[in-house]
Amino acid sequence: MSDHLSKQFDLELENIRTRILQMGGLVERQVLAAVDAFSTGNLEEMQQVIDTDSEVDAYEVGIDEDCTLLIARRQPTARDLRLIMAISRVVTDLERIGDKASKIANMSRKLRLAGSQRIPRLSDVHHSGRLATDMLQGALDSLARMDAETARQVIGSDKAIDAAFNAILRQLITYMMEDPRTITEALDIIWIAKAIERVGDHAANIAENVIYVVSGIDVRHTAAVRKKADEA
Amino acid sequence: MSPAGPWFAKTLLTGLLPIVCLAGLVWALHGPAAGWAAAALAFMLVVVVQTRRLAVLLAWLDSPGSAGFPDTGGAWGDVFLRLSRKLRHDARTLEAVEARLRSFRDAMDAVPDGLVILDASHRIQWHNRAAEAHLGIRLPRDTGAIIEQLVRTPGFADYLGSPDPTASFLLQSAALRTRVYALRVVPLGEQHKLLVSLDVTDARRVESMRSEFVANVSHELRTPLTVVSGFLEHFADEGTMSADQRLHFARLMSDQTARMLSLVDDLLTLSRLEAEDAPASEEDVDMADLLAQLLSEGQSLSEGRHRLAVSCRGPALRGDRKELHSAFGNLVSNAIRYTPAGGAIAIEWTLRDGNGMFSVRDSGVGIAAQHLPRLTERFYRVDRGRSRDTGGTGLGLAIVKHILLRHQATLAIESQVGEGSTFCAEFPAWRLKSEV
Repeated sequence: MSDHLSKQFDLELENIRTRILQMGGLVERQVLAAVDAFSTGNLEEMQQVIDTDSEVDAYEVGIDEDCTLLIARRQPTARDLRLIMAISRVVTDLERIGDKASKIANMSRKLRLAGSQRIPRLSDVHHSGRLATDMLQGALDSLARMDAETARQVIGSDKAIDAAFNAILRQLITYMMEDPRTITEALDIIWIAKAIERVGDHAANIAENVIYVVSGIDVRHTAAVRKKADEA
Repeated sequence: MSPAGPWFAKTLLTGLLPIVCLAGLVWALHGPAAGWAAAALAFMLVVVVQTRRLAVLLAWLDSPGSAGFPDTGGAWGDVFLRLSRKLRHDARTLEAVEARLRSFRDAMDAVPDGLVILDASHRIQWHNRAAEAHLGIRLPRDTGAIIEQLVRTPGFADYLGSPDPTASFLLQSAALRTRVYALRVVPLGEQHKLLVSLDVTDARRVESMRSEFVANVSHELRTPLTVVSGFLEHFADEGTMSADQRLHFARLMSDQTARMLSLVDDLLTLSRLEAEDAPASEEDVDMADLLAQLLSEGQSLSEGRHRLAVSCRGPALRGDRKELHSAFGNLVSNAIRYTPAGGAIAIEWTLRDGNGMFSVRDSGVGIAAQHLPRLTERFYRVDRGRSRDTGGTGLGLAIVKHILLRHQATLAIESQVGEGSTFCAEFPAWRLKSEV
């Protein structure tokens, strides 16, 4: 009887994990599409990203509810409990990333509709977008495999995105100083770059949660793990 | 060996009979008590011996070893012999099965398509090497992992849940998103599923190239047709056209039809060149003669607007004269068409480092560096408007490239905008006729 129950429990837990990873896949594609749309100016793609956001929200609500139900019904302990807690935190991170993706798409659309192109569509933005999606992919892979090593690498690569963001900022400042008419456009691009940088931060959060599940150590806001990740 | 009879007889003969005889003898000599005692002792001895042999058997079964089996003789020896024979046979069978399994696995790994076996809840049971690259999964790390957790492309889970046997799911590679895989799900037995992934990147690229080519051809054929049909409408409309006008229009129309004709000719030439790899014939081509022909053709095309010079300082070339003439003629006519009146064009055949070198140098408009790599693509135009004015089909250099390839020659283009261009075809030494 208890064996049957625990099997049922495992199945439910695994289902939640599958669903959150599916949600991750959706969000990952959104970020990628948003960054691509920024570079190419494809309005249709931007609209698609904005529209998909409601799908992400539906995932969030559903997974949150499943987590609550599972805790209430099964009262999980130890690693299972940590997993559930981590999942409900990861859901929030993923939802935020989805928001950032629609923000990028919205800003790109605004830029495109304004029509002015005083600043070229910086390839650096696209590059940092790629870095962010790679991080997100790594974080989701580590969640799928419960692989703390990959998670540490993801946390370490957050630095590269921060550096890319600073480089974009410097470039834009040069444009703004040279010609004040570029300021509006530059500010919009800064918003986009900032959103991408935040995607990286959320991906790092997801990776921290994976480490928490695997080792039971909460590494959020601790310098040690970041340092360790840097060394790796 | 029939079990009951001989077995019973054997026990009676080798086991019981000696003991009974011994006991009977002792009884006769020392009385009944000694007889019974002797029988009991003899039986105890038998029990001890048998127990020891049983222990030996058990020890040997635990670790058979390669040293063979313990030779105990008698009935036990027979048991040992048979057991060891069976063990050897089993080991051989196992080895054969393992070897077959290994070669099967090697074969599966050699298959270029990715194969993944999934159980009822979509857990990965096994996959081959191609699947590793296609889907980013790896055994043994991912054994038992649920595939939807690793392949997270939106829509994949739905496809896996209710596969459409007529369609496949297109997946972009996870790592660089540069390759495209077509996934298919096939039911395997009652519960399992086989996921097949096929790399369709190249097929899709070829497909897009093909449709681009068709679009280009249609466009190129359509343009002159539009002109001709426009004039024809004009003719039908009014009879008020002056004879002069009519003549002028007719000349323009014949120009356009000539363009279409040359385009179709070029297309046919290209498709013929593509069909085979080797030149149509191998003969010694007299280059001085060929260059003279090129010069006279060039002069008639130039109509005296350019200064043409020819220099032939190389041996005869092995190849197909008609093809070489067509390739070189294309280069010469290109030079004439892209060089403004008064420019100079030099046609040369020389030896360089033992290789044959045909070059056409002009003092024309030149080509910007970014166009050079794409110049031999079909219908690639540096400047759309101008090249159509000069009557090119957009296929000339593609034909040149194909002919040179068939002659193992390479085409090198050097150019500077405003300074002119040099087109060089370098032929390998073995295609040259050694001058004796």
